[in-house]
Amino acid sequence: MTDEMLMKAVKDGDLQQASLLFERYNKRIFNFLAYLASDRVLAEDLTQNVFLRVIRYRTSYREGARFEGWIYQISRNVLADHYQGQKRHRSQFIDVENMSDTLPDNTDAAERDEKEHLLQRAMARLTEEQRQLLVLTRFQHRKYEEVAQIMNTTVANIKVKVHRAIGQLREHYFTLEKI
Amino acid sequence: MTRAEIDDLLARHNAGTTTPAEQRQLEGLLESGAIGLEDLETLHPWQEALDQLPAPTPSMNLDDAFYQLLTEEKRNARPAASDSFTWSWLWPRLAFTAAVLVAGMAAGYFLRTPPPGPASSDQLAALSQEVTDLRETMMLTLLEKESAAERLKAVSLTQEMDQASQKVTQALLQTLNTDDNVNVRLAALDALRPYAGQPSVREALIHAIAKQDSPLVQVALAELMQSIQAKSSVRELQKLLDSDKTPGDVKKKIEETIQILI
Repeated sequence: MTDEMLMKAVKDGDLQQASLLFERYNKRIFNFLAYLASDRVLAEDLTQNVFLRVIRYRTSYREGARFEGWIYQISRNVLADHYQGQKRHRSQFIDVENMSDTLPDNTDAAERDEKEHLLQRAMARLTEEQRQLLVLTRFQHRKYEEVAQIMNTTVANIKVKVHRAIGQLREHYFTLEKI
Repeated sequence: MTRAEIDDLLARHNAGTTTPAEQRQLEGLLESGAIGLEDLETLHPWQEALDQLPAPTPSMNLDDAFYQLLTEEKRNARPAASDSFTWSWLWPRLAFTAAVLVAGMAAGYFLRTPPPGPASSDQLAALSQEVTDLRETMMLTLLEKESAAERLKAVSLTQEMDQASQKVTQALLQTLNTDDNVNVRLAALDALRPYAGQPSVREALIHAIAKQDSPLVQVALAELMQSIQAKSSVRELQKLLDSDKTPGDVKKKIEETIQILI
């Protein structure tokens, strides 16, 4: 069954089908939110919220629309709402020292590869949108067409933005390297 | 721009010698599709470095929290409210709610009980029902998983249930008939054993005989038919006996079973 068929079933009241969507998407959404929120525990809470919204607002799912685009849009909204609720929007800078403790699985600071650490810190200095772009295109290996749909823009625009995001990442990296 | 000019611009970009104006020109080319991101070699090491960053994965808490949430949402699910909201629709409900509230307060006043003690049996029953619902939801979901180990786990969850619902027994029967893995089918059969007395389950088990191609499951079913004295299964067992595909050892066991049943 396709994601769209499952979501239609959920919309029609067969909530059990939401569990299959959860199985297909929970890791991806968690991964997306963990990179953006830079906090594993928070990312789990936010992921839970995403699926809660999928179920609660199931009637707002437009039949025929790609489910993936819809759930990523919900994820972005959940994250934005969280920041708004916290009144400490971190769209420009993340607390990089905390981030490195919370992001990867192998979080032994002493052994962490310096380059990887610098890269994460450079990532944290990107704008929210740039981080989302890099998480989707690089970490999650989404196609530019899919990312364009998720970000509600054109493929050409996404390519330019990815180019700029990596350019910015490079600048931040070299700046941090000099510190 | 000609192809040669584009290549020249790309070569200078990759060598890191482009001006800001040329960078904008490159972005224009990227946007028009004349070049792709893969042509920009300076991006490659960064893309590779990003690809190598470790991917965070969620803990099992996320699974647990989700299934609890799903159970609650299923319980709370109500038919969608009518689009044509009217006071005439709302008024009787408000009146009823108010009446119940007043009655409740009155009952509370007249039937005051001593200070709170252990949880009432109603609360305990509700809690127990909640746990059962949660187990059922988890079981049905795990049965859909690709991993045979997960499906085995699903089947074993039914053994923790005091009384499996019809939905659960139906899911087990479907597993018995369609699961690719023999161990999972055997486990499903074992889990169904306590419910073999129910007429619908008994009949479905008899029909399952013809659907099995695994000798292990065939023998296990024959044994079960024998233990529940399902005489009506003889016809299905006979079909297995007559089939060329049924192994000799299985035929022997089925012959014995039929002899006992008739």
